[in-house]
Amino acid sequence: MSSVLVPEIPAPGFSFDLCQRNNFLSKKGFQVPKAIKTGTTIAGIVYKDGVILGADTRATEDTIVADKNCRKIHYLAQNMYVCGAGTAADTDMTSQMIASQLELHRLNTGRIVPVCTANAMLKQLLFRHQGHIGAALVLGGVDLDGPHLHCIFPHGSSDTQQYTTMGSGSLAAMAVFESRWKPGLSEEEGKELVADAIRAGVFNDLASGSNVDLCIIRKGSVEYIRPYDVANVKGVKQSSYRYKRGTTAVLAQTIRPIIIEKETICKVDTESMDTSS
Amino acid sequence: MFLTRSEYDRGVNTFSPEGRLFQVEYAIEAIKLGSTAIGIATSEGVILAVEKRITSPLMEPTTVEKIVEVDKHIGCAVSGLMADSRTMIDRARVECQNHWFIYNEKMTVESAAQAVSNLAIQFGDSDDDGSAMSRPFGVAILFAGIDEKGPQLFHMDPSGTFVQFDAKAIGSGSEGAQQSLQEVYHKSMTLKEATTSALTILKQVMEEKLNETNIEVMTMTPGAFFHMFSKAELQKIVENLPNAREEAPKPRSDSGATPSIKPAAISSG
Amino acid sequence: MAMLNEYSGRNLPDYEFEAVKKVHFSPYADNGGSVIALAGDDFCIIAGDTRLSSGFSIYTREQQKLFPLSNTTVLGCSGCWCDTLTLTRILSARMQMYKHEHHKEMSTPAAAQMLSTMLYYKRFFPYYVSNMLAGLDENGKGCVYSYDPIGHCERSNYRAGGSAGALLQPLLDNQVGYKNQEGVDPTPLSQERALSIIKDVFISAAERDIYTGDGISIKIITKDGVKNESFSLRKD
Repeated sequence: MSSVLVPEIPAPGFSFDLCQRNNFLSKKGFQVPKAIKTGTTIAGIVYKDGVILGADTRATEDTIVADKNCRKIHYLAQNMYVCGAGTAADTDMTSQMIASQLELHRLNTGRIVPVCTANAMLKQLLFRHQGHIGAALVLGGVDLDGPHLHCIFPHGSSDTQQYTTMGSGSLAAMAVFESRWKPGLSEEEGKELVADAIRAGVFNDLASGSNVDLCIIRKGSVEYIRPYDVANVKGVKQSSYRYKRGTTAVLAQTIRPIIIEKETICKVDTESMDTSS
Repeated sequence: MFLTRSEYDRGVNTFSPEGRLFQVEYAIEAIKLGSTAIGIATSEGVILAVEKRITSPLMEPTTVEKIVEVDKHIGCAVSGLMADSRTMIDRARVECQNHWFIYNEKMTVESAAQAVSNLAIQFGDSDDDGSAMSRPFGVAILFAGIDEKGPQLFHMDPSGTFVQFDAKAIGSGSEGAQQSLQEVYHKSMTLKEATTSALTILKQVMEEKLNETNIEVMTMTPGAFFHMFSKAELQKIVENLPNAREEAPKPRSDSGATPSIKPAAISSG
Repeated sequence: MAMLNEYSGRNLPDYEFEAVKKVHFSPYADNGGSVIALAGDDFCIIAGDTRLSSGFSIYTREQQKLFPLSNTTVLGCSGCWCDTLTLTRILSARMQMYKHEHHKEMSTPAAAQMLSTMLYYKRFFPYYVSNMLAGLDENGKGCVYSYDPIGHCERSNYRAGGSAGALLQPLLDNQVGYKNQEGVDPTPLSQERALSIIKDVFISAAERDIYTGDGISIKIITKDGVKNESFSLRKD
């Protein structure tokens, strides 16, 4: 059953119905609720055989940690992953939308989708929304032309690079890359380098924290390591905080008797087996 | 001596060649014209007794106030220029309230004396402090109070010097009274004994005949704090006073009759 | 390499244009940090984390936020660090002056009242500091005084303040104040339990508050003096 409020097939694109109302409310002094930001450290490098993406796992809501182990490296296609920084919902939804379009593209064309296609689709989407989609992305993948690494900004511009970082911890992570990245790194070297870059963000940027996730994309295979490194262990509690039974107050208790209005007894006879056929 | 004095006694901030400040010394002399006040500190509390000079039968005796409450736990007896004493008592009251406001605790008696002393020495014609007095205050004060150290009695003279006493007399009859106090005072004195002694001595040194209207008596005790005696209470005590002729205060056999004067933080020069 | 905060989207209403922005002087900084104090019958424990930060960066991982004012009084501060420095210097000067004027150490309740008047004195240009005064009162009992930046003062037995104050206070209410617990007989707080609660509470704060972490320093105040302890926290 369909109604005006809940159409069976929703209209494509975003709904801007409430924009005017919200604008009016905020002018009157209404506090607009804040979105969860993944104040983040994300990074990616190109190494000898492919691409390594890395991310921390902290999500913050202003100064409070909202998620201690969130997933910031998103699936785009079999040969492509994207790291997202910025507004959590935007990075999640953007990567999902593009992932479905890329899959349709793969089915239509019957070949491995090139990374530059995903880059184009992402930047066009972001540019169309003029920065209102707060997603800062690091896109990495391997296609027929080899490994590719792009970083895409929320307003729709993008760079193609050999190593790149994004998010509030980008400076800390980039410092590591600038001093230690070189062409033709081995996979082990590359993993440690990316992990170190993420760790630099985890420890020096307050909006980044918890663990290090890595995703290694080679030609024909992907290795998603989560967590690659538990950079911060939770402290051990000194005493127990279990409550005794009955600690929770019972404020009111009502007992309702079940009133038997009628009593019927149905006797079920054992049926004899049907042997007719 | 007298000649040199006349040359150096005008400026309040000029020392004489002998190292004296004559105006301050004259101010101390002025106290000796004032009415007598006696204070005795015992382990039970402090008692202050003063004479009120009723110079005319038309005068209203209750308006002569020589014992005042500074805070719940500090009372003062003054002798000398009464107008000056108002300024100093005002300062003492303000300082006590300020101490309570800032620290939420009672000011000690010594600190109160110190605070008033700071005011007492602000005389001279310095420009930086416009509110300074041009001459020393002509007042001596007895501070009676209770603080964490127990019952205490402090004396301060116009030079701002303050010293702790077990018993002290100020004013016109102070010399004779102080002598008598030395004779009667002993460490284990009760407050009642002290009251009787103070009034007996006051009776001896007063020119007029002592009665319930021309004296003021106050006790400061840990329980009741500042307590000013009512006319009825005074009458009762005055009636029971030993006759001066028959029973002049005699030195006690058990007391050494040596006055114990405890120097305060600032010693008298 | 651009930072995220450059992309604060323009939110312009129709038919209006952006006017010249008035940049005004902002004298305050929030340098974070949390302080907790617990009082027992004959002791008082105060603890503060050691992270000093601003925005998303850490200034130092080892900043003491506890200031011993006398043998029985310790002040814990969090908020604007420069105001903390000034306030604590003036406080210790006032403590020293009191000692000379009145020939005795200032008691914790007296110091508590003085701090309150000092803060209210700057009512219209306050010290942006969240203060917590811990010590022993005139009977030797532990006492905790907590303040707002303009001098409101409240004595209590347990208190959490600073950036994670709002997170920790309910936990203390439950564990130390026995709030919202049925059929529990409140046992007096022992020094060992107070210490372990403080450590556990900071472990939890470091999990969720980005301005609390790196480590804590603890001061245990008894009639015999002040004892120091420290404990490390996660560093992310």
